[in-house]
Amino acid sequence: MATALTRDVVRRSAARSAYRFGSPLRRSQRIAGYVFVAPTFVLFLAFVLWPILYTAYLSLTSWGGFGAPRFVNFDNYSRMLHDPVARRALVVTLVLTAVTTAILTFLGLVTAVLVNLIWRRVGVVVRTILFIPGIVSFVVSAVLWKLIYDPNIGTLNRLLGAIGLGSLQHPWLADHKTVLPAIVVVTVWGGLGFTMLIYFAGLQSIDPNLYEAAAMDGANAVQQFRHITVPSLRVVTGLIVSLGLLNGFKAFDVIFVMTGGGPNHGSEVLGTYLYSLAFGTTSGSLPQLGYASAFSVVTMVLCTLAVLAQLWLTRRADR
Amino acid sequence: MKKAFATFVLAPFCLLMAFPLVWMLLTSLREQNTIFNGPVIPRKITGAAYREAWTSIQFPLHFWNSVWITSVTVIGVLVFATLSGYAFAKLDFPFRNTLFVLLLTTLMMPSTALIIPLYLELKSFGLLDTQAGLLVLYISGSAPFAMFLMRAFFQTLPDELIEAARVDGGSELTIFRRVILPLTRPGIATVVIFQFLSTWNEFLIANTVLRNTDSLPLQPVLFTLMGQYSTNWPALTAGLTLSVVPVVIVYVRMQRQFVAGMMLGAVKN
Repeated sequence: MATALTRDVVRRSAARSAYRFGSPLRRSQRIAGYVFVAPTFVLFLAFVLWPILYTAYLSLTSWGGFGAPRFVNFDNYSRMLHDPVARRALVVTLVLTAVTTAILTFLGLVTAVLVNLIWRRVGVVVRTILFIPGIVSFVVSAVLWKLIYDPNIGTLNRLLGAIGLGSLQHPWLADHKTVLPAIVVVTVWGGLGFTMLIYFAGLQSIDPNLYEAAAMDGANAVQQFRHITVPSLRVVTGLIVSLGLLNGFKAFDVIFVMTGGGPNHGSEVLGTYLYSLAFGTTSGSLPQLGYASAFSVVTMVLCTLAVLAQLWLTRRADR
Repeated sequence: MKKAFATFVLAPFCLLMAFPLVWMLLTSLREQNTIFNGPVIPRKITGAAYREAWTSIQFPLHFWNSVWITSVTVIGVLVFATLSGYAFAKLDFPFRNTLFVLLLTTLMMPSTALIIPLYLELKSFGLLDTQAGLLVLYISGSAPFAMFLMRAFFQTLPDELIEAARVDGGSELTIFRRVILPLTRPGIATVVIFQFLSTWNEFLIANTVLRNTDSLPLQPVLFTLMGQYSTNWPALTAGLTLSVVPVVIVYVRMQRQFVAGMMLGAVKN
């Protein structure tokens, strides 16, 4: 890390002195550099950076989409603290994120270790089966699972009835107690293949000599797993955890399609609440773009924290 | 022994994971009147639901919308990403690293959080409810990540190659087109697959920006389908299946490249 940085600094100062002497080769490179980067950068300014700044500004205003936004300072944020739905959305977002991240990390590691143990050919098949749910769109998987969870005739309830567990039949998505677990299942179903594959790649990069040495010292499989596999995968785990957090904080599609945040805000997350505030038409009232933007800002802050967490975990693991 | 144990644990788990998609396929092949009381595996297979999904929701129209929106996005992203990725990997210019880090901030900003200003922006440009507006958002939203992948690929190319071409007097654009691009086929393929899958599957922006039903791509149509066809499960699952087919074909055919790209993206960011 440090050497790469030094090298970079040396190279850059060399480049800088080359500019000073105005070598024609260097100059054409500099011009080409800016020309090549310009198109992407213009798009970035117009459709990423500006929207970020504009959201931050809107979050300090009260605006229904007509006329000029009215500046209200941090009112939207204090309103958030007193809005029970907002509090609920924040709690649900954090809980869903924590639970799915934990399950995905654990199941991903376990399945990767198992896939790594079995025969190569079979492993490819297993990996494909586990991965396909991840390439299907969120809308498709949400619609599909909504049908499976259907209270009257859904497959889940029919299966429970068929195996004599009819008493467990349930309106899964319409009950406060089961709606979140139901969403966790769908999210894990879609995300496991990716987690498993990253762990799988991590496992393959562990030096097999470590295991041999440990076996010579009399370590059993569990001890080897705890003292070699888990520590060697620390960077991978950091990555998976932070990606899990990132995906959790921006959760939207699955919940929007399956429950729309219901029943009675039972599965409301930041994304669905901000969407209904900004674009919802059910209440018939004006869109609350200022208030909704405050949720955008909170989402962005959470996502930034997830990325910083990963940088921090990676750096710690490097030492 | 270990292998047998692992297989023993994985086999039922795989069945569980595969079940929803297999069920989708089986349901789509059923007759409407057997979905609620017939056996799990249909005794009689029929393509009637596909015919119904195909005609009643104007499937070909929306399928075509998805195809061309995805194609234009892929090409657009590729142009922006190869140019800037190459510049960041191989060309020396002032503020290179600052610009790069700035562009990287895009990668963590979710579209949910930016949807309000993006909506307002398209509205003020008169691009709301147009496919052109959707394309602009798709390309600008994805170009930075693709740029990041392409940069990693360009970095693997030797500097000497470019130096030699420069000494031979090629302009930077000629070097890029004639020398660099032909060597980056695998990188380009990775970006194509990635971009294809994510654009084909995108829902939030398409559902927000487009209101005119004729211009909708497949994902928002599947969403509205859910309301209209909530009782006609075979037609609904047939629609879902049809929308998934291209994705599965692309994935299965290009699995290796996709996995390689995913690793690169995941490990590097």
